[in-house]
Amino acid sequence: MVLDPQLVWNGLVVGSIIAVSALGLTLIFGILNFINIAYGDYMAAGAYVAWAVNAQVGLPIGVAIVAGVLFMSVGSVVLDKLVFQHFRTRSPITLLIVSIGVAFFIRNLLRAIWGPSGHFYDLPLEASPSFVGVRFSIEQVAIMVTSLLLLLGVYVMLRRTRVGIAMRAASDDRMLSRIRGVDTEKLVLYVWLIGGGIAGLGGIMLGLDAQIRPNMGFTALIAIFAAVILGGIGDPKGAVAGGYTIGLAQEVSVAVIPSEYKFGVGLVALIVGLLTRPDGLFGEATR
Amino acid sequence: MALVDLLLVVGVIAGVYSLLAIGMNMHWGDTGLLNFAHAAFFAVGAYTSAILTTPPATGSLATRVVGFDLPIVVGIAAGTALAGVVGVLIAITSVRLEGDYLAMVTLSSAELIRLMIHNEAWLTTGAQTLKNIPRPLDGAVPVSYDLFYLVLVWGIVGVCYLLFTRLSRSPFGRVLHAIRENDDVPLALGKNTYVFKLKSFGIGAAVAGLAGGLWAHYVYAISSIMFLPSITFLIWAAVIIGGAGSYGGAILGASVIVFLRQITRFIPGDVPFGDQLSYIRLMVVGLVLILVLYYRPEGLLGDAERLQAGTSE
Amino acid sequence: MTLLEANGLRKTFGGIVAVDDVSFEVDRTEIVGVIGPNGAGKSTMFKLLAGFHTPDEGTVMFDGEDVTERPPNERTQRGLVRTFQIAQELTGMRVMDNMLLASQNHPGEKVLAAAAKTSSVRDFEEDARTRAEELLKFLELWDLRDEYAGNLSGGQRKLLELGRALMAEPELLLLDEPMAGVNPDLTDRLLQRIMDLRDERDMTFLVVEHDIEAIMRISDTVVGMHDGTVLSKGTPEEVQSDEQMLEAYLGGEV
Repeated sequence: MVLDPQLVWNGLVVGSIIAVSALGLTLIFGILNFINIAYGDYMAAGAYVAWAVNAQVGLPIGVAIVAGVLFMSVGSVVLDKLVFQHFRTRSPITLLIVSIGVAFFIRNLLRAIWGPSGHFYDLPLEASPSFVGVRFSIEQVAIMVTSLLLLLGVYVMLRRTRVGIAMRAASDDRMLSRIRGVDTEKLVLYVWLIGGGIAGLGGIMLGLDAQIRPNMGFTALIAIFAAVILGGIGDPKGAVAGGYTIGLAQEVSVAVIPSEYKFGVGLVALIVGLLTRPDGLFGEATR
Repeated sequence: MALVDLLLVVGVIAGVYSLLAIGMNMHWGDTGLLNFAHAAFFAVGAYTSAILTTPPATGSLATRVVGFDLPIVVGIAAGTALAGVVGVLIAITSVRLEGDYLAMVTLSSAELIRLMIHNEAWLTTGAQTLKNIPRPLDGAVPVSYDLFYLVLVWGIVGVCYLLFTRLSRSPFGRVLHAIRENDDVPLALGKNTYVFKLKSFGIGAAVAGLAGGLWAHYVYAISSIMFLPSITFLIWAAVIIGGAGSYGGAILGASVIVFLRQITRFIPGDVPFGDQLSYIRLMVVGLVLILVLYYRPEGLLGDAERLQAGTSE
Repeated sequence: MTLLEANGLRKTFGGIVAVDDVSFEVDRTEIVGVIGPNGAGKSTMFKLLAGFHTPDEGTVMFDGEDVTERPPNERTQRGLVRTFQIAQELTGMRVMDNMLLASQNHPGEKVLAAAAKTSSVRDFEEDARTRAEELLKFLELWDLRDEYAGNLSGGQRKLLELGRALMAEPELLLLDEPMAGVNPDLTDRLLQRIMDLRDERDMTFLVVEHDIEAIMRISDTVVGMHDGTVLSKGTPEEVQSDEQMLEAYLGGEV
């Protein structure tokens, strides 16, 4: 079977978005130990703030992206201090349901401020050049480049910086890292700063690729969660591998199944993954 | 619309949501299962009954091919049964998984079902509205139709409350509660926990399907947009706020949620932020949920003692 | 008459061999004690017998039937019942409900019968209550019957653990460190109870324990394990003076 290169390219783009978003989520999930349903809405909020800066205030897209990422970076910390921190001692299920409350709040706040209909970023170029039969759009190229830079950056951070190493240790064993003297609250701060920022970036990329809508984050959340779980919760490279796997599978599947069902690919990948490799793609799930 | 009429409509909605919450309470309150597929059971019940009781639409724009003209009772019964079956099927794939995984798989399964409803227009009218669903005893009741339906729905809620409370207090319920507390113990005591979980899932899903059928025949037109995951989350909020583990709590929580959402119908005239009111209502729901979890985790009618037993103080 | 047979049991986790070629028998109305230092494989072996692990090799025979592949609930139904080392009381359920849960073949556990609350359900529940009452009084927990199990003290939880297992009408009771964390006075009572149950009700026991003294007092046969294998098997005196066992305990405080 010959793979249509256009589908592969699309798959890589979608895969990048999922991979980046899943990376942020796996860091948060792995260290804070609960499913944050509001993560999708963090993504949407980042996309909206960037849009507001770009289309409403009129600043260039580059500035808008930075604004969106920073906003969510700080915003996640604020949300933690306001809400999640007060539930630190409670069960993961309670935190999950609290995050449902937060999700409700954010999503409807976005609707209240910017309305329910979709928006697009204000971009300078409209070109869609072709190369070896594959059509690229500027947005897609931007997404790919940004993703690769971010993934590289996070990789370096996790391997080389003190914070990153502490994060990996805490993800593996929270008890142990507390004993070893890792300042947990400070670590949590970093996790939200980085994870929240990544969420914002993921949302912006999603908005670039598709459209900016209030429930955009939630719609993508299933695929992102599938990537995290497939890759093994808490395993950053697993999340990235999972993201690209699901993105590619999703887009390439259009060749054989009706395109409306391509989102079902995420679900199938999740179930297959859980049944065959419960410790994740690389066997390094930390839960 | 007169205040009384408004109250009747809101009352019917509260009744339907109460049935949904009763089903969810069996899953979560009794058995400790993180079911995030509830909206799908609701949809299956609604669409099954609608398809079975409505002949295919005619006309050049008609897309639905499948339709029947069966009595409403048959439709609702079939919807209830099929929702239960779907519940068991979803459970088979997921109940052996740990909590968070169970949540994600059920959520994804529900989305897949909604996707199917959205796309298979030959069966469900797809993205468009499935219209002209018959209302039971339409025009045959001497009182206002909304009043009749209110009594009907709440009568069913009453029956379900008694039934589910009895199940919860029975030896069957005892096994479910044990599963909720600890997966290994009932297994070690001879219970086939897998089968019990399937049964719990199926029964809770069935009553959600019943709610769907009742809903469809009341609003007489349905579309896939009515069955988004946000419904599932709202029911979760209802069960938590009302008090997980208590069926009275489930009904109360559902009624509170419905009231919060519908309250703006009762506000007359122009108010500031009028357009955003529906969103503000949901923001309030989110806030209330967080506050309840913080200050009163056992919910309004839940058992605080039970929650705190065994925790060191 | 042999009730339980372990034949050549072997279990590995990752690369680690937890249990290797373990074989022994338990006769009816026997009390068999299993001892060994930490890491000897007692816990794994226990779970293999109870059905919470499946062996890589070997079989478990109970009452003449091969139960090696059977899940825990099916073993319990056949009379092979276990307790948990860390008392797994169901915190959010009352003591009486904890006990009633353990009744076997309760018709009320079927949905339709439960919904209809048939007379057979009510009768069975009555009988179960009577039995639970008897056991709770035997264990001196009767006054606590309406307490949430999570509010019990450590010792009381241990007793409840035992009571629940007894409620399941076992033929062979697998006890996992029943004395762990229990004060000496209660230990005596527990040991006496176990022997009473064997004498009066023909019950069989396999007890995994760290408390060597306790084991030596009540066991007919002792199985000594080390590094996943059976090092010594025999009467308490034989095992106690077995040199290999003494070495295994590193300076022999057997």
